[in-house]
Formats: sequence, structure tokens, C-alpha cells
Amino acid sequence: MFLTRSEYDRGVNTFSPEGRLFQVEYAIEAIKLGSTTVGVCTKEGVVLGVEKRVQSPLLVSSSIEKIMEIDRHLGCAMSGLIADARTMVDHARVTSQNHAFIYDERIKVESATQAVCDLALRFGESVHDEEAMMSRPFGVALLIAGVDENGPQLYHTDPSGTSVRYEAKAVGSGSEAAQSELQDKWHKQMTLKEAHILTLRVLKQVMEEKLDQHNVQLAQVTSDKGFEILDEVRLKALIDEMPV
Amino acid sequence: MDHFPTNWGRPRNDAHDAFNTYPLHQRPAPHTDTFAEGVQRTQQPIVTGTSVLAIKYKDGIMMTADTLASYGSLARFKSIQRLHAVGESTVIGASGDMSDFQYLQGLLDGLVTDEFTAGDGDALGPAEVHEYLARVLYARRSKMNPLWNSLLVGGVKDGESFLAYVDLLGTTYTASTLATGYGAYIALPLLRQAVEGREATLGADEARRILTESMRVLFYRDARSLNKFQIATVTAAGVDISEPIVLDTAWGFAEGIRGYGGQTQ
Amino acid sequence: MPDGSFAHPQERQFNPYSENGGTILAIAGADFTVVAGDTRQSEGYSIQTRYAPKVFKLTDRAVLAVNGFAADGNMFVKKVKQRLEWYRHAHAKDMPLRAIARLIQTMLYAQRFFPYYVYNILGGIEEDGSGAVYSFDPVGSYEREACRAAGAAQALVQPFLDNQIYFKNQQPPAGSSHPVHLPLPDVLSIVIDSFTGATERHIEVGDGLEIFVILAKGRSTQGFDGRSGVQELSTTPEGDRVFVIRRELKKD
Repeated sequence: MFLTRSEYDRGVNTFSPEGRLFQVEYAIEAIKLGSTTVGVCTKEGVVLGVEKRVQSPLLVSSSIEKIMEIDRHLGCAMSGLIADARTMVDHARVTSQNHAFIYDERIKVESATQAVCDLALRFGESVHDEEAMMSRPFGVALLIAGVDENGPQLYHTDPSGTSVRYEAKAVGSGSEAAQSELQDKWHKQMTLKEAHILTLRVLKQVMEEKLDQHNVQLAQVTSDKGFEILDEVRLKALIDEMPV
Repeated sequence: MDHFPTNWGRPRNDAHDAFNTYPLHQRPAPHTDTFAEGVQRTQQPIVTGTSVLAIKYKDGIMMTADTLASYGSLARFKSIQRLHAVGESTVIGASGDMSDFQYLQGLLDGLVTDEFTAGDGDALGPAEVHEYLARVLYARRSKMNPLWNSLLVGGVKDGESFLAYVDLLGTTYTASTLATGYGAYIALPLLRQAVEGREATLGADEARRILTESMRVLFYRDARSLNKFQIATVTAAGVDISEPIVLDTAWGFAEGIRGYGGQTQ
Repeated sequence: MPDGSFAHPQERQFNPYSENGGTILAIAGADFTVVAGDTRQSEGYSIQTRYAPKVFKLTDRAVLAVNGFAADGNMFVKKVKQRLEWYRHAHAKDMPLRAIARLIQTMLYAQRFFPYYVYNILGGIEEDGSGAVYSFDPVGSYEREACRAAGAAQALVQPFLDNQIYFKNQQPPAGSSHPVHLPLPDVLSIVIDSFTGATERHIEVGDGLEIFVILAKGRSTQGFDGRSGVQELSTTPEGDRVFVIRRELKKD
């Protein structure tokens, strides 16, 4: 696929003659290797769902963390290099706390997303003889869910620092199939419960293993309760309710 | 990881804790001043000029200052110019430290040159010059290293006349009659009485007469003043700073005043 | 030394501060806020100018009154306005009143060891549509109140407001209670009386009076539409609106 690209995919900040930054494009490719991650926005709140790949029966599935809290009103699910996402979530958390400290209000979902995107393109930059802050682009995509004065919102960010708002979005290895399923099934009047079921259903379709409460994780952000990760009891109840 | 975008792309400063609540976040300083301990700051003015007066009148503004620069109570320099044209439409007058004023003249001349070389057809007007001076003087007072002056800035641009004050603390204000130093106590009440409410009708001759008489009163009362002064006029036609005018003054009346000398008992 | 002698060499130091007189006040109503200040600027016994504004419109729902050292005040207002513009660009909305209040605290406290020598009173409309007043000390301590006076004549005006707004030392007629919020015409009268009173009794107050009225979205101009010298400053008649009423005060 990339056989013709030889010289211009070395430097992270070198454009190819066709005007492309190959390292950024490769980083976007890295996301497609990640596990499937789904986000669904409704009027009641936003639902995030991830597939946990439990590669070994000895692995403690609860230690896989792919959904994280940014602030009480902001959550984030990821696909790709999870370690990179931690840097971004850390930045989002600081930005959000700093905003609350200075302005005595919750940061908007869009602003928090923008803060993360500002970080995404800081690779390869250095001053004088110092080392660059980051050597390569982030290899991770985030689904940022949150509730603010504009209601529940879902944003997608990728390694190019682009952010786009979605009603429903899937990223990761099974994203193509998942996205078309979301496109089919998502509708404006969807309840939070329906969004939970839709998320699980989409994950189920693209997962190789049989879906259960151990190999998926669900979270939601609502205006009254904020961010919460659904525990295995609630997860199991939802899975049991799923139509076969 | 530095979470403050203002620091990104800048040299790091590990000694600076960006997460502390105080001091609040700011960019790391580019360098520290090795000689800070040995820096001399103006703690008092040395060679000083006294009052500057200015009024608005029909065609623009008129400003006056005498030509004396005192060294304490010594009348050290008797033909120093304290009025200075800035560009085509502004004049500034200074009281206070004359070396600080001459530094400001250099700064403003540089500014006017920069603006001219930009060649965009835009020139600094009196409002811009005043704002700039206010920023410079406030910044210096905030470094506890003031430029020890009280300045009047006047001019005409785009048919609008402008008159404002700025001093070593960065304090600013505008009015149709202004005076610095002793002039604020002695001449300003006279100027207000003569000018306020008549700015739009007052002619150049009368404006000149009002200022001249105020300078005469100041000469008799202010021991750091001189009966030689200049008058600057700014109209739509531009800036004119007159040659020094010498007032015909007399101290003969003092003979009869008890306490002025002359009496023997 | 306690006996008045100086055992140690005295160092004369440049004083970076001055005090420029004047008085400001703000009163919050149920769906409006009034912020006012006189326009005299003085130093010692000298009137520097008869017109130097101390009250500034920040947004269509926020007005800031600044009193104390004029150079610091003007610089502070400039910096607050700059931060409001940056916020607008970053977050695509005007900063809400309580966010401005917190911002002012952080900006003042950032200068804790070289303070802006200014007393701030912020007035406007909260996001819930209620009138609000926030008052600050020079290093950023702040609280939301129903009314506040500050500046040269604070000691004259605040007790008057305590009595007229909070009904301190007043007994309500038997079987009734004091109103929580006064109507706009009553508030305007109290503001004008406060300043005519302060002008009479304080040498640093006088010349001109600027009264800013901020009305919550949808509230009619009823209460001051008969008055002379009213000017609307809001960018749009929808949403919250800002008006200024200019009056003369005695100049002696």
C-alpha cells in the first residue's frame, strides 16, 4: 500500500510533494489496529463503549482501561496506542481543572476537545538544542463525550489534530462495519437506554469473541449524574436485555 | 508534560512550577539580569523643568513651558526647550527630570521614524502618542524605575483636537485645560475660568494672551520658573513651536511689600 | 522609634501608588442591576479632570466599576477586556458574569505582592436572569451581594444603602415584611441621592454621575424610559441590555 512512499515518510514534519504528512497518515493507520470503540449521543446523554481484548484467561480484564474520566462532565474513550491517550487525557484534565479554577465554571466539551487537538500537532518541534516535546504524532483516536450548556455532545479527534462532532461514531479495527450500523440505527429521539443497547449491539457485531460483561466496557455522561462507568452488574443487566 | 500552550515551543524552565497556585502561570523568563543588584534607578529628579500649561482653542491646542532647567534651587540651564514636536500633528511638553524627558524624546523620534519607514501612509496622532507614553511610563513605574516626568500631550488629527496628561505613575486624564507642577495650583484655575465652555470660539490671539498672562503669574510666584518661555501651537496645518518669548517683568512693586526685602525695620 | 527619633538611616523610596478619589456603587434588583460612579478624578486637593469614567461596560450583561489608583484601574480594565476577548475567541461565547467575577479574582490575586490598588465592583445579569453585584478587595477577595459602595465616600454611602436596601434599623409595619428587591425607579432614586449626598459632604466626589443600568433579557425599560440623558449601549436589543444615564453633580 505504501510502497511508493520512500523519502517523505522519514521526517515527521516533512511534506511529500503531493502535500501529505506521511507520519501523520501512518498514525491514523495505527488506530485501525486498535480495538473497536463506539460513541452514541442522545438528548439524555452520551454513551461510550469499548471492546476489551482479553487475550489470555490469566489477564485481569478489569485492569484494561480504555474509558477515562476527564472531568465530572467529560469522559473519553480511546482506540489505538492507549499509552499515548494517557498523555492527552492528562492534558485534558489539567486544562479542565485550570478552566474551573480561573472561571468558576465547567469547560465546554468543544473547548476541552480543542485543547487536546492543540497538543496533537506539537510533535517534532524543538527550540535551540533542546529535545522536542514529542518525537512523533500520537497513535490514538479519542471519542470525547460530555455535557455542557449546549447539551450532550460527542467529539472525535485523530492524530492530525482534527476534531469533528458526531451524533454517533465508531473507531478502531471494526469501525467500518460499526459506523454503517450506527448510520442505520441511530435516530434523533433515541433514549439513553436505546443508546446503551445500540452500542452493545454494534460492538457485538464486530467482536470476534462472544460479548459479555468482562470483554466490553460502557460509560455514560448525563447532565444530572455526569460521567460514570457502568459496573459489571449494570452491564450484565443490559446485555441480558439485548434482543437476540 | 507542560499543559500550558503558551510555553509550547519555548525553552523549558524546570525551576518553574507551572502547577503552583502562586505565582500564577506565566512564560518562563528568557534570562535573569545578572547585574540587577547593581542597577541604578531614578529615586529623585536631578535637573528639572517646572510647569507646562496647555489649553484647547478654536483651531486646535496651544501649549507653553518656560526654558529653564533647574538643578535644585540653582537656575542651571536657561535655554532648554521643554516642548517637543512628535510627528506632524502632536506636541508634548515636559516637567520633571530633563534627562528622562530627553530619553523620551529619543524614544518618540525612533517611533516616528519606524512609523514613517513602514510607509503605509499612516501617521501617529496625539491620541496614539499619549497612549504610548502612558504605557511606557506605567511599565517603568511598575518596575519601580520611573521616568520622573509629568507630560502634557496635545495635537490635532482628523479635525479632532486632543489634550491629555500623563505622569511618572502612569496616571492619565484629559481636559480642555491642563497644567503640570505649580501650574496646576496657580495657573489652572485662571485657565479654567478663561477657557471652559469657550473652547470652540476662543481665537488664537486670545488663547496666546491667556497663556502669556498665566506664565507671567507663574513667573512671579514659582521660584523655579523663568520669564522666558515658548508657545507651541498645533492646528490642522501642523505644529509650530515659537522662538523663546521674553516677558517684560518688573519687581519694583516688591519694594512696598513687607517681607520682600527693602524694608529696614 | 517610639520616641519619634530615627536610630536607623532613612531610605526615601519611590511610591508607585496614588489615590484618585471618587466613589462607585452598585445595587442588584430582581431582574436588573445598577452600577454607578462619579466622574471626578483628583489627587490631594486638586481636581485633575471633571470627566474621567470609572464605570465600564464589559459585555452586554456585565459592567465593571473601578475605584482607587486611576492608572492601575485603567490598566486593570484594559487587561480584563483583553481576557474577555480571548475567552470569546476560545469558547465562542461571552463570558458569564460569575466567570468574570472569578477571573477578576485570579487576576487580582496574581498581583498579590504588588497589588493593583483598586476596589472593583462588578454588576450585571447572571445566567439565570437575576441581577447580581460582586465586590472585590484589591487582592481579589470577593463575594456576591445585593449592594455595595466603594471609594472615597464609601463610609458615607454604605450605611445609607444598608438602611435603604437592606432595611437595617427599620421595623416593617405590623403584619408586613420588607421587600427583598426594590423596583428600578426606587433604586435609581437611591443612587442619585447617594451621590448628591456624597458630593455635598466629600470633597473628592462630584462633577458628573454615570449610572449604568443592566436589564435582564425580556425586561421592559419601564422604570427609566421617561428620563433624560439615557443612552443604550447594548449591541443587540435581544438578550440582556445595557443603558447609561448621565447626570451633572455639583462641581465645587
